[in-house]
Amino acid sequence: MVDFKHVYRQYELITCINMLEPWERKLINGFFLVMLTLVIFSSFMYLPNYLETLVHFVTPPQWHSSTENVAQKMARS
Amino acid sequence: MGNFDGDSGTVFEQSYATTNGANGKLPNGNGAAIGSPSNGGLNLNHAEEPRGEAEPFLSQRKFSAPAYTEIRTRRCNANAAAEAKNRSPNYHPEKRSIANGHAKVLRDHEETQPNKVEGILSPEVEHSQKTSFEEVPLHTACLTYLGFYLLMILGYINQLLFVPKVATEKGREGYVTLYDAFESFYSRYVYRRIKDCWNRPICSVPGDELTLKDRVSDDYGWSFKFTGTETRCLNLGSYNYLGFAAATGPCADESEEKARNFGLAYCSSRCELGNNEQLQELESLTARYLGVEDAIVFGMGFATNALNLPSLLGPNCLVISDEKNHASIILGLRLSGATTKVFKHNNMRDLERVLRQGVCYGNPKNGGKPYKKVMILVEGIFSMEGSIVRLPEIIALKKKYKAYLYLDEAHSIGAMGSHGKGVTDYFNVDPKDVDILMGTFTKSFGSAGGYLAGTKKLIDFLRTNSHAHCYASSISPPIAQQIMTSMKTIMGEDGTEIGRRKIMQLARNTRYFRRRLAQLGVITYGHEDSPVVPMLVYLFSKIGAVVRTLTTRHIAVVGAGFPATPIMEGRIRFCLSAAHTKEQLDYALEAIDEIADDLGLKYSNKPRDPNPIIY
Repeated sequence: MVDFKHVYRQYELITCINMLEPWERKLINGFFLVMLTLVIFSSFMYLPNYLETLVHFVTPPQWHSSTENVAQKMARS
Repeated sequence: MGNFDGDSGTVFEQSYATTNGANGKLPNGNGAAIGSPSNGGLNLNHAEEPRGEAEPFLSQRKFSAPAYTEIRTRRCNANAAAEAKNRSPNYHPEKRSIANGHAKVLRDHEETQPNKVEGILSPEVEHSQKTSFEEVPLHTACLTYLGFYLLMILGYINQLLFVPKVATEKGREGYVTLYDAFESFYSRYVYRRIKDCWNRPICSVPGDELTLKDRVSDDYGWSFKFTGTETRCLNLGSYNYLGFAAATGPCADESEEKARNFGLAYCSSRCELGNNEQLQELESLTARYLGVEDAIVFGMGFATNALNLPSLLGPNCLVISDEKNHASIILGLRLSGATTKVFKHNNMRDLERVLRQGVCYGNPKNGGKPYKKVMILVEGIFSMEGSIVRLPEIIALKKKYKAYLYLDEAHSIGAMGSHGKGVTDYFNVDPKDVDILMGTFTKSFGSAGGYLAGTKKLIDFLRTNSHAHCYASSISPPIAQQIMTSMKTIMGEDGTEIGRRKIMQLARNTRYFRRRLAQLGVITYGHEDSPVVPMLVYLFSKIGAVVRTLTTRHIAVVGAGFPATPIMEGRIRFCLSAAHTKEQLDYALEAIDEIADDLGLKYSNKPRDPNPIIY
């Protein structure tokens, strides 16, 4: 929780959000949220393969080693 | 904003105590006194005696070395480096011979650590080694611009949707706006958001500590209300370099006496009834202090530049001005109508290029005929950058190209050099090599006004031609007395060591503070020995955040943002003073350390000194 607070403060600082009035804050935060959800949604909808590769790339190898093996076996057979 | 507790003074004292207690945990736990003061000082003096005779000669040669007359050739640099090896290892003048005399600091048997580059490199390389201008990290630069665009866009949206809460003139339909549109937009919609960090009213003398009047804003900076409470803060924002701004002490007493005997003002200019013996004495004292023939004093530092440059320069003159020069100089140059060319900040190569072009090609507006006068215009310490002018090299260039040199010592007078005589003293340059010495009494002397000094002929010319002399009201007697008393104290003419101690204390505070900041990993600009310490925070929002957070920790600092600096280089400017003690600086540094972690100010990629910094 403390960590989240720190991250949020950094986000506020680097985007100058901490200087804004409340309604402007809501506007900008909402704008960023909408953009983020749109990006995530569209990448799930239209580029699932790319996303899978990305997840595969980002997450540590032992997480998906078993599923990957299964997938590889499936592919071979 | 601040803490609104009624007896904040006591709280502040307590917080100091806790700071000292916690100090043991820090790597710099050398707050405890070591050794007795007098013995240490004496021993050192004895040890240095055999060298004493050769030293002035060497330091004199240091900046009149052949390297300075021909800067570019490699051979001469090699000579200078060889010479640098022979010379005494101390760059800062006389810092080893004097004990730190502040009452609250007892230790002085050990000296400040010398810089690693001292005595190894040639003087000009050493100077640039000690001056740091670290590059901004790329992502920070991008974020700064993005944040700025966001603020501007929101500002325009605001302007479209709401009527600004400002006074408007009636019956002005069809008129062009009287005020600059962008400027008013900027101050209303960008600057207004962190307006509470500037122009904060104080209600005490701005010594080592000051009292802020607390104020709150209900409408996001459009208007402020006083809460009626006060916050006592450590003052890191005043140009009180030698600590002469004090409500008590000989300066204050003598000024008060003067005000009682001679009144507050003469209500007339120097050419009419405003001239008096005291001001003439002040002028001769200033001339003596600076080591030149004559001086002239004015009641306002800004006007000294802005109104005297037009009387010295005309349309057929060339002025080569540093890009970071103060607004008063720029205004003066505009008023004079001289051709102004700007060279890169403290860059001697660029200065020579501009100078040579000016001399070779002449005035293009006048058919390429040579300029009547060529003048180099620089400042001693640049107030926003904290860098020190490379005076010996400039003097060499000036002599080579037969140009005049105008040196604005607004910040450096009193603060630099072993005798507090400014950068000429710091570099051991003959002040007569500088044609026009300008400075203010506002900073180190804790008073108001400015002076111009030089040859008798120049000053007599100014006495007849200067607008500030002829039309401005003369300096008020108590203010002039404050200047005289503080100046005599610095010169040691009051029979005490107070002046020298103050100078040493300032030099020591400066080095300590700058090195500790570098150790923390924040980016600071400027030369190691300059008491103006800008700390780069880059982002506009961080200026406000740092100033507000430091105020809650009872530290008052000054931020500087876009109109005063380039967009990308928002900064916090610390001004050190001889009135600060090590404990106060430690307290401030500890707070800065925490804040820098919290707000992400540790941008520096330089290797950090792992050893504790010795005060």
